[in-house]
Amino acid sequence: MTVLEVRNLQKSFGSIKAVKDISFSVHAGEVFTIIGPNGAGKTTTLEMIEGLVSPDNGVIHFGDLDWNKHAVSIKKKIGVQPQSSAMFDLLTPEENLNLFASFYDDARPTEEILEIVSLTEHRKNHVKKLSGGQRQRLAIGLALISDPQIIFLDEPTTGLDPQARRNIWDIILHLKELGKTTILTTHYMEEAEKLSDRVCIVDQGNVITLDTPSALIEKLTDEREIRMSFLDGEKAAEDADRFSKELESVSKTEREGAALKIWASKPEETLLDLFKFTKENSYGVEQVSIREMSLEDVFIAFTGKEWRD
Amino acid sequence: MCLLHLRAKNGGINIKFNQFKMMFLAQLKLTLREKQAWFWGIFFPVILMVIFMVIFSGNSDEEFKTEVAIVDPSPNPASEMMLSQISGLPVFEVKSGKPVTRDKAEEWVKEQEVDAAIILPETAEESSVFLVVNKENEQGAAAQAVSGILDKFVQQANLLAAGASPKYDLQYESITSGTNELDYTDFLLTGMIALSIAQGGMFGMVDLVEMRRKGLIKRLRMTPANMGIFGLSDMAMRLLFSIVQIVLLSLIGVLVFGANLYINPFTLIIIFLIGALSFNALGYFFSSFSKTTEAYMGVANICSFLMMFLSGVFFPIETMPEWIQPISAVLPLTYFADGLRESMVYEAGIATASLWAGIAVMVIWGAVTFLLGSVLYKRKAIAADR
Repeated sequence: MTVLEVRNLQKSFGSIKAVKDISFSVHAGEVFTIIGPNGAGKTTTLEMIEGLVSPDNGVIHFGDLDWNKHAVSIKKKIGVQPQSSAMFDLLTPEENLNLFASFYDDARPTEEILEIVSLTEHRKNHVKKLSGGQRQRLAIGLALISDPQIIFLDEPTTGLDPQARRNIWDIILHLKELGKTTILTTHYMEEAEKLSDRVCIVDQGNVITLDTPSALIEKLTDEREIRMSFLDGEKAAEDADRFSKELESVSKTEREGAALKIWASKPEETLLDLFKFTKENSYGVEQVSIREMSLEDVFIAFTGKEWRD
Repeated sequence: MCLLHLRAKNGGINIKFNQFKMMFLAQLKLTLREKQAWFWGIFFPVILMVIFMVIFSGNSDEEFKTEVAIVDPSPNPASEMMLSQISGLPVFEVKSGKPVTRDKAEEWVKEQEVDAAIILPETAEESSVFLVVNKENEQGAAAQAVSGILDKFVQQANLLAAGASPKYDLQYESITSGTNELDYTDFLLTGMIALSIAQGGMFGMVDLVEMRRKGLIKRLRMTPANMGIFGLSDMAMRLLFSIVQIVLLSLIGVLVFGANLYINPFTLIIIFLIGALSFNALGYFFSSFSKTTEAYMGVANICSFLMMFLSGVFFPIETMPEWIQPISAVLPLTYFADGLRESMVYEAGIATASLWAGIAVMVIWGAVTFLLGSVLYKRKAIAADR
């Protein structure tokens, strides 16, 4: 079931076309992730969907609802955690949640939300004394207070340490268990790969590609990168380099001291051949690995840009 | 059907009231927890008022008195009559209570133990009364006053000697426009109340700049929260804070410094509401074009300083150079302070023309700045879309 449909969105600011043509639809209960470099139009797209900015062109439908006619109904149906975690710093998490609860006629109980975002312990501390991760969890809590069907999380883990980031992942996975739909933007490929049902890559105001993370990776290429390093130093690596270049499935190699990188379209066969070679020459292998392709490679392949966290 | 409809409507009102209540409580907590608000809203005006009152109205009740010595070289009927009359003047305090020798008197003058020495005529025919003052103090207030009083006294004696009774005499009476006297304590107290409420409005809206900078305004707009109710609760909080200021400053003024207040509650409420709203509008206007809190505070400080000294808060406008007075005449604080004086000291009814003129000036300031602020906010809302 489609809960949000976006078609041919366009938005310009002056002469700058921030969003040129963006279309996608989001299914109920999925985690839908939008990634893209800075200035790709992610935030503008989100702000149009959240009703803060009106699009120059295009359609935004929440089921039967659209912003022109059903603004209040949509606001009750969605929960937003904006990039700047905006809340009242001199109030406590509990007071912030109670205040936001008063905006809705059927809000969830504050205790329940505090439990979900694990802030029960800190409910009576002023927000300004909370850590970055706690603040971010409260921001998510504020988005959840109205018990929304669709939740927007705009870079919820940016700037957090690994532990705090993992806490937020747990919350997102918990929301998924509850059957909520989450629309996520992130700077971390690992996060997108781990959490998302589908990933939408945007660049320069256009949707570049949209699919499940594994399908996107498969689309890339069959070629894999094999890394090997030798106990017997450069001599062994040099010989192995010469040997692998003659193999049919190998397209390119790269050697740095005793470490060797081999790109092969049939990595299993290549490995077998390589081990046969090392055994014959009795070279000791220190490390061997096949690098998994990640979303990062997908991103680089589709946008032609380096990914920077 | 009809019942259902009614219930739904009631629910809406309840939600709105609940929203107002929660927002008001939030604002109240935010204000109570903000140390800056306490300092600038409560502590600062109290300290400022106490300092000014201690400096300028410490001994305002004491009358002018000057100490003199009297020399009566050879007592005669004329000199004795003068002596008894001079001794009877309340402004003169005769040192040692009786005439002394001329040498002694001159010594006192030299050592500045007395402000002047009066030497009475030696015979009934001799008509000169000498006044001896210290050269260093010749232009001093006391010497001038003694000479003036003595001059008048001598003139009267002359008239008496000529057998004429004075046709004209001068009587002093101070006149105020109201029924009650205004002394400096009352003047300063009402001025300080006006200033602190005005500053509350002009500085207080810095919250809006901060909320916008942090994206809180945007965040609230993503919820079904009614921004009108938000503004209303904010205003209610500010008015409550101003009432605390009025009560606190009045209590200190009356209990510690003996200010006399004769309050016309109705006029006071009208002036208070219009003044407070108008200065809040001014703050709103500042917030509409200030990108940072620093920029806002800069603008608010300049305006607040200008008004503090040009609006008759500490000193009456009439004591300022004439070329400055037209500036005072357009500043809203001038009329707010005046209005508070009228309603808190003179017990003036609302119907006086000058009061209405003042209200009109404040309303114009409030309305114009509010409209300008709204226009700028709308324009920025579009620009801030990026």
